[in-house]
Amino acid sequence: MSWLIWRVYRAQAAAVAVLLAALAALLLVTGMQMAAQWHSALVTCTQSHTCGNLSGTLFLGSHAVGFLVIMTLGVPAVLGMLCGAPLVAHEFETGTSQFAWTQSITRRRWLAVKAGSLLLGAAAVGAVVSGLVTWWSGPNNALQANAFSPGRFDIMGIVPVGYAMFAMALGITAGALLRRTLPAIAITLAGFIAVRAVIFSWVRPHLIAAVTTYIPLKSGFTPVGAYWQLAAGYVGADGRPISIPQSTNGQVLGTAVGEIPVSSLPAQCQALAGGGNARRLSPAARDAVLSCAQAHHIRAFLTYQPAGRYWAFQGIETGLFVLLAAALIAVTFAVVSRRDA
Amino acid sequence: MTWLVWRQYRAQGAAALALLAAFAAVLVVSGLQIARQWHSVAAACTAHAAGASGCLDVSLGGSHAQLLIGLSTIVPAVLGFLWGAPLVAQEVETGTVNFAWTQSITRTRWLSVKAGWLLLAAALWGGAIGALATWWSGPRNALYQEQFQPGHFDIQGIVPIGYAVFATALGVAAGAVLRRTLVAIAVTIGGFTAVRLLISLVVRPHYLAAVTAYYRPMAGYSPPGSAWVVSEGVIDKHGHVYVGDAAALVNGVPVTAVPASCRSLLYAGPDTLTRTHLQQAVSCMQAGGFRGFTTYQPASHYWPFQGIETGIFLALAAGLLAVTFAVVRNRDA
Repeated sequence: MSWLIWRVYRAQAAAVAVLLAALAALLLVTGMQMAAQWHSALVTCTQSHTCGNLSGTLFLGSHAVGFLVIMTLGVPAVLGMLCGAPLVAHEFETGTSQFAWTQSITRRRWLAVKAGSLLLGAAAVGAVVSGLVTWWSGPNNALQANAFSPGRFDIMGIVPVGYAMFAMALGITAGALLRRTLPAIAITLAGFIAVRAVIFSWVRPHLIAAVTTYIPLKSGFTPVGAYWQLAAGYVGADGRPISIPQSTNGQVLGTAVGEIPVSSLPAQCQALAGGGNARRLSPAARDAVLSCAQAHHIRAFLTYQPAGRYWAFQGIETGLFVLLAAALIAVTFAVVSRRDA
Repeated sequence: MTWLVWRQYRAQGAAALALLAAFAAVLVVSGLQIARQWHSVAAACTAHAAGASGCLDVSLGGSHAQLLIGLSTIVPAVLGFLWGAPLVAQEVETGTVNFAWTQSITRTRWLSVKAGWLLLAAALWGGAIGALATWWSGPRNALYQEQFQPGHFDIQGIVPIGYAVFATALGVAAGAVLRRTLVAIAVTIGGFTAVRLLISLVVRPHYLAAVTAYYRPMAGYSPPGSAWVVSEGVIDKHGHVYVGDAAALVNGVPVTAVPASCRSLLYAGPDTLTRTHLQQAVSCMQAGGFRGFTTYQPASHYWPFQGIETGIFLALAAGLLAVTFAVVRNRDA
């Protein structure tokens, strides 16, 4: 059986190996350049004491390679479409399933070995690509502290392994159900995008209850490390968020945690701010307005997932996709066992 | 022949229409939301000239909207591998070419009718998605002036039509040359991505001569309207260019670009780099013949660029179709 797998998939395996080697070469070369750039920047900014604003002034790497790294988001889908979808469907289309399913090897064994090898292969490809991207992104993660941000989280760590296994399982299941390769490919692509989008937008922010911190207007607060900001704003005395108008016309008052429109403050405080441009208030006047707002129990709030939860989130999301993959594979077994050869 | 094409592709056509409708529905909902948000902002902003900076802080549509609209960049590739790649390859695989190519209708006619209808459908589809994306981006273009930026340029205007026709032609050609659907699909995905990246990153900045503005080092310059800034940095009197992100920066100035005599001014302070030190160093650089520069494609180049890029992709598609015809005509049934 293993020999059969090797014969059937050796061309694909060779193509994948060549592509991975090309990606590895590109990322290794540009990654080492970036690391060197990062270190020299650290040396220079330590010398001039400007490391604090480095994230605003330094751009690491090139746009072209950056594009390529973002495009690794599509690797799982391509694996699922090109290797997963044809697994059962193509055998049906060419009629080889009639031969394969009437041998001494049972259908379940046939499927278990084929699907098992492909899932293992998908996990391996996902791990290699993610390993390369994670290493490559090291300096940028240190500079921007954004490893937890949507889009960055999705191409690093262990989640790409989960995505790859899920996409592969989705392809295999779609092929077994539809028995035709092209529709299975289309379903795999659409299904993968839909499931990823739903989990990304509506499930991930709530995997663990977010932390909300209330901050006095006159003091600053930034969570440690690469945290993920979910919401920010201001709350009034009743603890409910203050509505912030869409346009503020320059009537914006700088606080230590951001800016608050003057029109959102109580009337007494608005009177203190006067009618002019609030950004040009003298420090003393600004302080008086902020003290007034604080006396009215207006506080800033920040809702976020702390940086310390990064690996917990990676683990949960990977587990979720591996579970989905397992469910899909169970469906495939049920379908294949019941179907006539 | 047309009836045959209709019979063969009606399922695909229906599936495609369903997908287009779903995508359009999501875009229309999100687009209406953005338009409402924009109207409430625009009314207030235009009243006060001073409010423009307040308006730029507004995030129209939020972060999910960006991801949604970004999906339309892959639409041409999907058309190419789902519609284009199987056109010849699947007929070869299932053996139906033996029948199709031995009828009274010539092979050339067979291919031109099939490929013709498919390319027309691809152009319509590309145009529809492009028009939706253009409408959706209207408020954002008005506020952020971003329609010329890479990534935004690629989903608006007429270029999506060129991409869709090219991707479909690539699929058809790959299928005709390779005669296997799956391999053709893989080649279509890889080829489309490679050509798009190559043209947008390497070729596009050079369609028309860019404009360069020079100014005092560190003064900064933002070209009018929705111009596309191709590069910016510092240039010395010998014409040597220091591009902004090439080296470690101090407040936007590459330290390596600061000549040694001026650099000592930067680090003269006790611990931190002050604005005064920076101004002294900049004045020193200016005296030494350094200038800041911004090279950009002005906003008036937007439609010429759209036209040129669409033309390039249509020409590539025509080349691929010529290859397909040559291959199909010379092959034994």
